[in-house]
Amino acid sequence: MSSAAGSAPWDLFGYFADHRAEVLDLLWAHTWLSVLPVVIGLLVALPIGWLARRYRWAYPPVVSVSGLLYTIPSLALFVVMPTLLGTQILDPLNVVAALTLYTVALLVRVVADGLAAVPEDAVQAATAMGFTRLQRLRTVELPLAVPVIAAGLRVAMVANVSLVAIAATIGIPQLGQLFITGFQLSVTGPYYPPIVLGIVLSVALALLLDRSIVLGARLITPWQRVSAAR
Amino acid sequence: MNRRIATALTGGTALLTALTACGESGSSSAGGGESTPAGGGDTIAAELVLGGPPEFQTRPDGVPGLEEVYGVSFGEFRSLDAGGPLTINALANGQIDAADVFTTDPNIAANDWVVLEDPENLFAAQNVVPLISTEEATDGVGAVLNAVSAELTTEDLISLNEQVIIDRQDPAAVAGQWLAEQGLDATGTQAAGADLTIGSANFPENITLANIYAQALQAQGATVQTQLNIGSREVYMPGLQDGSIDLIPEYTGVLLEYFDEEATAVSSEDVYAALPEALPENLTVLEQSEAEDKDAIVVTRETAEEYGLTSIADLAEQP
Repeated sequence: MSSAAGSAPWDLFGYFADHRAEVLDLLWAHTWLSVLPVVIGLLVALPIGWLARRYRWAYPPVVSVSGLLYTIPSLALFVVMPTLLGTQILDPLNVVAALTLYTVALLVRVVADGLAAVPEDAVQAATAMGFTRLQRLRTVELPLAVPVIAAGLRVAMVANVSLVAIAATIGIPQLGQLFITGFQLSVTGPYYPPIVLGIVLSVALALLLDRSIVLGARLITPWQRVSAAR
Repeated sequence: MNRRIATALTGGTALLTALTACGESGSSSAGGGESTPAGGGDTIAAELVLGGPPEFQTRPDGVPGLEEVYGVSFGEFRSLDAGGPLTINALANGQIDAADVFTTDPNIAANDWVVLEDPENLFAAQNVVPLISTEEATDGVGAVLNAVSAELTTEDLISLNEQVIIDRQDPAAVAGQWLAEQGLDATGTQAAGADLTIGSANFPENITLANIYAQALQAQGATVQTQLNIGSREVYMPGLQDGSIDLIPEYTGVLLEYFDEEATAVSSEDVYAALPEALPENLTVLEQSEAEDKDAIVVTRETAEEYGLTSIADLAEQP
């Protein structure tokens, strides 16, 4: 337990061995705090993005306002969330809500542009086949927009993984705690193991989630593979 | 307080590099004291740069108190952190000349630094005390934590900090070892039925103390969750008041000042006696320990010898 590992960067393995349960808890918290906002954010951004596409006049204001959301400093957003939501200050919901806002900010434009990129003849063919507007959206437009939306999702996902770390400053446990711990113990000289471990795990998590989106997008767009194979 | 939060966050090597880098540009303005915004005339302090947590600049026992009580006004104040890596490193490498550091900091002895005496009691007593939500403060929980407070001494704090900060041992292990040494690790049912979430501030000593409370209560049958390293008082205090956490190790003086800005008590007894009155009804302090971790103005041995400093009052003299 108290076998204090060395302080060189590669001692991250020793540090992990000493704090396995704690670090795995942080990793799990980091994972769901990163993923949940992307899921909710996508569900919120889809109708907004569709509206911005459907009504052309709405596109400039909707896209610029949602884009502006992204300029709010995350720390400020975390700090005001309890006031806005009436949540308790140490509630992880504050982080989820703040990161959802950022995801929406990124995805509204992506959804609108993705729908706009659907070939006009495909839309017209669907209309000619008697599809209602909703049927057409669900079976033609959205599937064809998947590659563009997935690209945006990847950006939002990876951005969230790094943004979550900031929530350590408001007492929400996740991998960011490792940076704070490492910094606190960097008094007599830099103490790398928890910091490097936090970076390694964050990067690995970001890569894993990014790959999952790519795979997921490929699974629901089988025709892309067919056309690529030809 | 966001700046303190932000500094804590920046963690890691990037920050340490930045720290070294800004030392180069900072030292030029630090030297002559001509960058002084509120110069203190020809005193020793006017030639020196003080570093401390951001709020030290405005709090009653900070920069204003130094001026009022001792007539000491430093050439410059630099916002760093609350006795953390920024402050310690800045003092160690000469980017600041004096620092607001906590008396139980093992770096003081490790660097042979000088703690300036505080004859006028500018800094109030800061005894370690468990701050608990009133509804969780049952007799059983009280008895367990009071037994911990009865054994905890200032020397213990310094030694615990040394193990965690200098030797980088795991705070939970260090806490368990201390409890065993004090014979406080016996299992029992004193706190059976209690169900508490214990929090801690974001510095090592507080984390170790929270671990001590947690393990002592667990040994006596309480169900305990921990949420450690929460942040500064501005973050965890609302958490304590809204019931997110139930118990946290606190320090009497700052606690009193947090709830009563006008407080004037300085001695351990007076500060502790003033607390129940100042605290909101949903918070209770248990018995305080003799262990104390208070603010101090600390200078390097070289600075102390160069100017002949032993007390804060000496800073107001001519160089």
